[in-house]
Amino acid sequence: MRAVRASTNPLLSDRDVAFLLYEVHDAPGLLELPAFAEHSRETFDLFLTSVRRLAREALFPTYRAMDAEPPSFREGRIRVHPAMRSLYPQLVELGLLNATRAREVGGQQLPLTVFSLASAYLMAANLSAYGWLGLTSGAAHLLEAFGSPELKDTFMARMYRGEWTGTMALTEPQAGSSLADVQTRASAAADGTWRLSGTKIFISGGDNDFAENVVHMTLARIEGAPAGTRGLSLFAVPRLRPEEGRLVDNDVQVAGAIHKIGYRGLPSLVLSYGERGDCRGWLVGPPHRGLSLMFQMMNEARIMVGLNGVATASVAYHEALAYAQERTQGRTLTERDATAPQVPLLQHADVRRMLLRQKAIVEGGLSLLVATSRLADLATHGDTPADRERAALLLELLTPVAKTFPAEKGFEANALAVQVHGGYGYSSEYPVEAWLRDQKLNSIHEGTSGIQSLDLLGRKVMAGSGAALRVFQEEVGRTLARARRAGVEAAWCDALQRSVDEVVALTHELGMKLMEGDADGVLRHSAHYLELFSLVAVGWQWLAQACAARDALARGDADTGFYEGKLCAAQYWVHTELSRVPALVALCRSSEDSYAKMKPEWF
Amino acid sequence: MKILVTAKRVEDAESKIRVNPQGTGIVPEGLKYKINPFDEIAVEEGLRLVAKHGGEVVVVSIGGKEVQEQLRHALAMGAHKAVWVNHAGALDQLAIAALLAKVVEAEKPDLAILGKQSIDDDQNQVGQYLAEFLGWGQATFASKVESLESDAEKGKHPGVMLSADGKAVVVVREVDNGLATVECQMPAVVTTDLRLNLPRYASLPGIMKAKSKPIQELTPAGLGVDVTPKVVIQKMVPPPARKAGIKVPDVATLVDKLKNEAKVV
Repeated sequence: MRAVRASTNPLLSDRDVAFLLYEVHDAPGLLELPAFAEHSRETFDLFLTSVRRLAREALFPTYRAMDAEPPSFREGRIRVHPAMRSLYPQLVELGLLNATRAREVGGQQLPLTVFSLASAYLMAANLSAYGWLGLTSGAAHLLEAFGSPELKDTFMARMYRGEWTGTMALTEPQAGSSLADVQTRASAAADGTWRLSGTKIFISGGDNDFAENVVHMTLARIEGAPAGTRGLSLFAVPRLRPEEGRLVDNDVQVAGAIHKIGYRGLPSLVLSYGERGDCRGWLVGPPHRGLSLMFQMMNEARIMVGLNGVATASVAYHEALAYAQERTQGRTLTERDATAPQVPLLQHADVRRMLLRQKAIVEGGLSLLVATSRLADLATHGDTPADRERAALLLELLTPVAKTFPAEKGFEANALAVQVHGGYGYSSEYPVEAWLRDQKLNSIHEGTSGIQSLDLLGRKVMAGSGAALRVFQEEVGRTLARARRAGVEAAWCDALQRSVDEVVALTHELGMKLMEGDADGVLRHSAHYLELFSLVAVGWQWLAQACAARDALARGDADTGFYEGKLCAAQYWVHTELSRVPALVALCRSSEDSYAKMKPEWF
Repeated sequence: MKILVTAKRVEDAESKIRVNPQGTGIVPEGLKYKINPFDEIAVEEGLRLVAKHGGEVVVVSIGGKEVQEQLRHALAMGAHKAVWVNHAGALDQLAIAALLAKVVEAEKPDLAILGKQSIDDDQNQVGQYLAEFLGWGQATFASKVESLESDAEKGKHPGVMLSADGKAVVVVREVDNGLATVECQMPAVVTTDLRLNLPRYASLPGIMKAKSKPIQELTPAGLGVDVTPKVVIQKMVPPPARKAGIKVPDVATLVDKLKNEAKVV
């Protein structure tokens, strides 16, 4: 019964990755920017080759074992799955920790556009194994951006070299989404460091036995600091602190491990700071600016979580697709002969529906993440200040969408992959159930879907009198103009145009209501607004892909099956998802207040 | 020491390979290419020897300009320089070995390490011809005991190592009845089997470094080699499609069919 096929799962489609990079998102265009001048298509392709091989040959084969044997918590320390001892150095050796960073910190300044696609293979292969790398890289980048030269030498350099790992330590038992309630305290010590005390919870990768040390990027409140998020400061707090040339215990104890249903290779821990009054932290950046600094890591992490979601849906989609091609069951509706051989699952229309839906979610979501990553590249390295500002605006707008869509719709795709497997899918003998468990975290961590929807509707689309939304509208307009020229079906183009116009009109209306002070009425439907926006953003990506597919077919590309598949997925999105736009717009516009007026005792 | 290794460009085995309707070759569209896996093992073995004893690895490939991709890949793995013999047409194994012999004469390596065969034509001839042309000793099918090496095993008992005086190469060979260890005076030709090592992945820093490593271009004419093929491929045909199997009701029927239809027992 064991799924012997698992080892041939491609994780992501190589063809799709090449399509997104070179036919849809113009990765070669990035080479014209001075920051990326040392790269070429050849370096991109060689890097992708190495990464996908590591993913397929090393990370994927250990996934089931790491899921089955989560880290253990004994005598105050975490022991991870022994496979991590060889996997982590392999990830580090490829140069992944600082691939996108500058030369000065040992990086290779690879565009995030390319890195995101490469990392998606690793995530699809083994989400937990990648998690260690992603967290360390993000934590080191925080120190690179805001740390003193001393902190960079002591902590960042070792993290980028793969000797120490990193975490982000924000959440506390009483303060998850509500960071304003963080209570971990920091008091100034005579030696210039700070003494920390408090408890953090759900700290991913908070301890391990494969790296020498862990550095927790910790939010804490300096004694006497104002209440709320404005009183939070950022500290680097290592498990072991350097003292007179050696590493000594820094009084950060693992107080417990969470028993998780997914992402089981990466421990989620309770950390207790300063039980002996000897926990030292090093302030990163100015005091009371912790949360805004932390947002650098959080925004990067949100894009990473979006990729996690796409990757987890992708590996399950490919598993379900292969299963539906091999597994025979029943006969076609018109076959009258009960002794005729059974047909593959894929012959059944409803199975094809489920697979096309997964394809549309996975490849549409991946395209959105590539677009978002490209904006991050342009926001940092764009040619002119105006280019950078424009890219940054759109990046900020799309980040909550790129984080949430893959998590929410990816979960649905993962459920469909189980469904395609039928009763076998509901058994632990097949791997699809594990990806369903893994996926669920993505709508929870790094800001829940609810938080993301408030960020989008309450902040991002409203900021600067809707400046970011205008950029979005222009970009969709550009894609539409190209699509019409390429001969993409006018009805699809019209549907996207209508959808965007409706979203813009709705947003203006909601903006007016906000100014009139009806925040409760407007934000009550933030989740619906985020869903609406996601459908349109992914619709935009499907039209961009349809446009590239039409171009390829027009120039006589022999790979017609690939492009026809793209066009079917685009058609599917327009007809089943964009068609839902008017209903969602009406809901967001309405004063529908069913759950708002529910009293607790009515539930 | 100096080690010359080969990096032939071959179709990726994961690609769908189809014979063209004329039967003159395969359909190139939609194919992916990579370094011949046996050659990749040769590159890795060369890099490990040089890491231990010092020196440099020179990687050679023969073909049109597209083989620069494979050379660049080997450079990204860590090879020090590349030699590209620019020739777009068909080549038989004798011509390939003759070209390599000329490159060896120019580069004067202590060892030439080649894949024992390439996964496209599976000929298993070039290494042997090369040793003959050069008048060197040869140790083919270099292998090792462990099928999958752990980090600890890596380098502990390599399948290819130098003798104590550094003048000979000691090679563990895979032979029909197990493993045989041979010692060959250098310079020598070694060909690699699949179990010799697990090649490294090219790292991103390695890929960037490879950009500035030199690729020297040579031609068959410049090397003075007549590459007119003596072996000509007349026709290619795909293997016959497999017929569906049948289910037999019991063991007796199976035995009967094996005896009387298949006539194998």
